[in-house]
Amino acid sequence: MDVEFLIGIFPQVLLDGIILGFMYALIALGYTMVYGVLEFINFAHSEIFIVGAFVGVEVMLGLKSVGLLEGLPWPVVLILVLLAGMAGSGLLAVTIERVAYRPLRNAPRLIPLISAIGISFFLQDMIRLFESLWRNAFNLVYPTLDVLNLRFELTETLDVSVKSLVVIVGALLMLWALHLIVNRTKVGTAIRAVAEDQAAASLMGIDVNRIISLTFLIGGAMGGAAGVLFGVQYGLINPYSGFIPGLKAFTAAVLGGIGNIPGAMVGGLVLGLLEAFAASYLSLLTGGAFGAEYKDILAFSLLILILIFRPKGLLGEVVRERA
Amino acid sequence: MALFEARRVTKRFGGLTALHGVDFALEQGIASIIGPNGAGKTTLFNIFTGLYAADDGSVTFRGQPLLGLRPDQITALGICRTFQNIRLFSNMTAIENVLVGMNSRIALGLWDVLSHSRRFRRTESDLAARAIALLDRVGLQANANAVARNLPYGDRRRLELARALAAEPALLLLDEPTAGMTQGEAGTLMRLLRGLVADLRLAIILIEHNMRVVMEVSDRVTVLDHGEKIAEGSPREVQENVRVIEAYLGTRGAGPRRARRA
Amino acid sequence: MIQVPLSVGLVAVSALAVAMFPRSVLVFLLFQGSLLFVYRARIPERLRWSLLAAALLVLMPVIGYFNSYYLEVATQVGIFVALALGLNIVVGLAGLLDLGYVAFFAVGAYSWAIFGSPHANIILGGGFPLAGWWFYVFLLVGLAVAATTGILLGLPVLRLHGDYLAIVTLGFGEVIRVLANNLDKPINFTNGPKGITPISRPPTPFGLPYGEYFYFLALLIVVAIVIVNRRLEDSHIGRAWEAIREDELAARAMGVPLVRMKLMAFACGASFAGVMGVLFSAKQVFINPESFTFLESIGVLAMVILGGMGSIPGAVVGATVVTVLNLQVLKGFSLWLNELKNAGVTVLGYSLADLPTQFEPAKYERMVFGVILVLMMIFRPQGIFPARRRQRELGG
Repeated sequence: MDVEFLIGIFPQVLLDGIILGFMYALIALGYTMVYGVLEFINFAHSEIFIVGAFVGVEVMLGLKSVGLLEGLPWPVVLILVLLAGMAGSGLLAVTIERVAYRPLRNAPRLIPLISAIGISFFLQDMIRLFESLWRNAFNLVYPTLDVLNLRFELTETLDVSVKSLVVIVGALLMLWALHLIVNRTKVGTAIRAVAEDQAAASLMGIDVNRIISLTFLIGGAMGGAAGVLFGVQYGLINPYSGFIPGLKAFTAAVLGGIGNIPGAMVGGLVLGLLEAFAASYLSLLTGGAFGAEYKDILAFSLLILILIFRPKGLLGEVVRERA
Repeated sequence: MALFEARRVTKRFGGLTALHGVDFALEQGIASIIGPNGAGKTTLFNIFTGLYAADDGSVTFRGQPLLGLRPDQITALGICRTFQNIRLFSNMTAIENVLVGMNSRIALGLWDVLSHSRRFRRTESDLAARAIALLDRVGLQANANAVARNLPYGDRRRLELARALAAEPALLLLDEPTAGMTQGEAGTLMRLLRGLVADLRLAIILIEHNMRVVMEVSDRVTVLDHGEKIAEGSPREVQENVRVIEAYLGTRGAGPRRARRA
Repeated sequence: MIQVPLSVGLVAVSALAVAMFPRSVLVFLLFQGSLLFVYRARIPERLRWSLLAAALLVLMPVIGYFNSYYLEVATQVGIFVALALGLNIVVGLAGLLDLGYVAFFAVGAYSWAIFGSPHANIILGGGFPLAGWWFYVFLLVGLAVAATTGILLGLPVLRLHGDYLAIVTLGFGEVIRVLANNLDKPINFTNGPKGITPISRPPTPFGLPYGEYFYFLALLIVVAIVIVNRRLEDSHIGRAWEAIREDELAARAMGVPLVRMKLMAFACGASFAGVMGVLFSAKQVFINPESFTFLESIGVLAMVILGGMGSIPGAVVGATVVTVLNLQVLKGFSLWLNELKNAGVTVLGYSLADLPTQFEPAKYERMVFGVILVLMMIFRPQGIFPARRRQRELGG
């Protein structure tokens, strides 16, 4: 075991972890915001996330087909794609809430959860159906923008691609925007009020239904942004690619404290870093016995352990026992 | 050996001390715990039955320490309770509710159930007979197969009592059993309790707000206020205790007014 | 009383029709529908059970003789009915939403697969596969192993509720799947994604062909499971589970030992899946991790939800409907569509031959499950054949 080698790859692993972490953070925000206002796990959020990626790829392919992909400046293309993904996911989230969750708001808790699972499955095949009919293919590849593949050498062992920078910057912008919305606007305060105490908020004159829809919109948009960045970063998407990242992002949300927005960001980063380290080091440390394929188990085991031993997560409050 | 003894029971919730070193003991008969809302009565019950952990003090039942035991263990030892807000199994029938109450007294195993052994069949018919008898005792035999949710309020309270009796307790803890009842219904319930004490050699601790009931049926009354015991004695003694009167804001000489339920 | 000749007639006619038109999916569905009719019809009990017995023990095997695919469908239905009945105990009776139920099925299947095939030689040196008749022993081994796994899963999740319990069980199911996929090193337990084959089959009584043998065995196991289910339901154990589902706090206060009861629910539910897992691996001769994914867990959940949580006939009907939907209806639709394409049929001016080749209706199981779950939750959460108590809780 070459210790020097282990240390040498460290910066790259760190970078990978940060990128992964930001992506998880963005997706986790959707889970945590919805849980904050409704105490409900939006199981379909993993599909809301991947729909963003699909909207993004369709926009890119559309631009390509009219020759604008190379024609427009690349930041414009990226911003366009990002906004499209966010809009698509956000609207989808709001629609799902209206159609499948609102009618069940007063039902016993398991009912909306099962409904959410149903929506998740339905959406997966819906995307497949749409893409099969539209493009006769549902494993789609993000068109490359050459500029994204340029790499900068930072140190001897570390080089970073423009693509990675774009993802990091994009994620940071999203997180910053969310922070502003939640903490500096009237809407954000209303969301926090509803999350805190729905009854009191409505007595203060807040239209709770509208705020809930808005929460889904914002959370969905964050997920959509994550989807676009996911597509840009990894290049290949299919309708079923949302499931595992979604589950992991949920783990991140719980890790940070479900319902707690900064918690989602922290949880996302922690999970991303842990996973990157596991992927790179696990195989080396165990002499090849357990390799990178076990990184998924890491997230799932972490989830199980947190929920059992510290359900309030790192930053969260005590999980209220539903009477 | 005392039947039931609690000493210096203390419970804190964060910065609030709900109970300050409360002592309570019971040998037999019916004892009532009264006090203004928020005095700590239900908290005390919750500690006695294992739902809360006490921060200090000791509780023993027939010499056996109770603190740290789980609620189902305490039930198995012989203490059973009802709840302030009636916690029935709403979608099960009356008789099913009572049968669940007998769970701790059933000595059947998985194999008995799967094989429908003779022991199983005999036990099940015994249980059914006893359940009907209990329902009969509280006056619900006509409604044995009614779904608990559909029963009128008074019947539900009585069903909860029957269910608590199903566990064959030696000590019964009743949390506001007459809440919401008319004076007539409350009187009937109290006569029932007196009958149970006599027939089953049961000891009962009541939390109550209905003063007439308390005074009529109790052998002894304990008064809590702000987590402390401020008086204890026969109903008459307590009624004339100045501190008690002050706690309830009753006028001097007229005795504590019946406290209003919110 | 018209229902008497009607039920007899329906069964007879539909069976005959299947024999005459062995390739028609619709006719086979009609036959299955006639069985449902017999189950619900107002006819003397004797007649009801005689008809069902005749249909399942005589007519079905005969149909299978003409069309072995239908026998295969019937056997698959049997397997999923057992799984649905098992999940029914955990979700329907005890109220514990287990989203990783397929893990128990996998554990049972792999237990026979490993020792009933040469694969065990890799781990233990030699002497495998075990002789075919060991299969019968392993039916019990699979039951025990799955029950133990159920208890192991149950222990840490006991304090969790609702959503969190669901997610943890989901995580557990995924862990099992990843393990199955990757435990081929350092010691090769599961042979990873390549799966295990060939798996031994037991010698059959009376020289029955395997298709019929597994059908009857599945039927027998299902009957046993139904009996076990009923007995559990009508006992202090079933009542304790209901009480826990209604109000855990009150149940505890009434002396119900929560830990023991929840673990028993997990163990019982898991054991059904374990037994069927053993049958499954012997029937398939080849298993790999692909048969045990989240999709299967949700599929079984959809069956229980569709049929009615906590209801035995509900689980049977739910499993039948969903399995038939996937194996026959979707597939039949796919085949039919292909036939139309080849015939050059046009719909509203659009030629079906132009449909994208990637569009295969047979693959849309997820959509089927999803639609079932959502529609049921919104419109009829108590299921098609609700258990009495659920009807009161959710619909009545």
